[in-house]
Amino acid sequence: MIHVSDDIIIRTLARILVPFIQLYALYVIMHGHYSPGGGFQGGVILGASMVLLLITHGYGETKVRFSERGAVIFSSIGLLIYSGIGTLCLVFFGNFLDYGKLSTLLQVVPAHARSLGILGVELGVGFAVMAVMFSIFFDISTSGELPVDE
Amino acid sequence: MVMTTFFLGIGVGLCILVFFVLYRVVFGPGIFNRVAAISAIGTKTLVILLIIGYLYDRIDMFVDISMVYALLNFIGTLAVAKYLEMEGERK
Repeated sequence: MIHVSDDIIIRTLARILVPFIQLYALYVIMHGHYSPGGGFQGGVILGASMVLLLITHGYGETKVRFSERGAVIFSSIGLLIYSGIGTLCLVFFGNFLDYGKLSTLLQVVPAHARSLGILGVELGVGFAVMAVMFSIFFDISTSGELPVDE
Repeated sequence: MVMTTFFLGIGVGLCILVFFVLYRVVFGPGIFNRVAAISAIGTKTLVILLIIGYLYDRIDMFVDISMVYALLNFIGTLAVAKYLEMEGERK
């Protein structure tokens, strides 16, 4: 499943398409509170771009950009951002994920603080979902064994 | 008003056509018919989503959703093709 595709059309198409997919995923994450989408959906699209790279270019070339180790680190960072923002609201005497209380820290009105807080949480969710999607696909397609480098 | 009725008719027609393609997915002889039929259902769903967006006057939001749908459909078809290629090598 994760060997290099020997079709040049598929490889060229994937190479051109992957940056645009990632740009679109960032748009979905950033516009999560105005339009459909959000952290989870944007993370899934980011993960899909990684899966596309893995299908077409094989593990040896994908490893340079995003490896198993990177997946572990990114999912941890995403969880840290999410729970960190939630706990920061607890520190300012609010409920968990009560973004309005962050206005004293960010020096803005509470409504703007809520918008920024949601954006931060969605970024964290997006990171975690991207890494976990990549990890699930990788583990299923290799059944847990690292392939030999090509 | 005329355009709304027109698009409603087109949407209902496409929904019915999806079931004909679904027959190919369930009973179709061979795996390649099934893959092609699944891809066709994905394309039809994309158009149906855009028509729903027009009917609800929210075309700007539904364009986003349909783009994601087209993208995942493409990657899914590619993954199935790669899987079949791998199965052929094993035999």
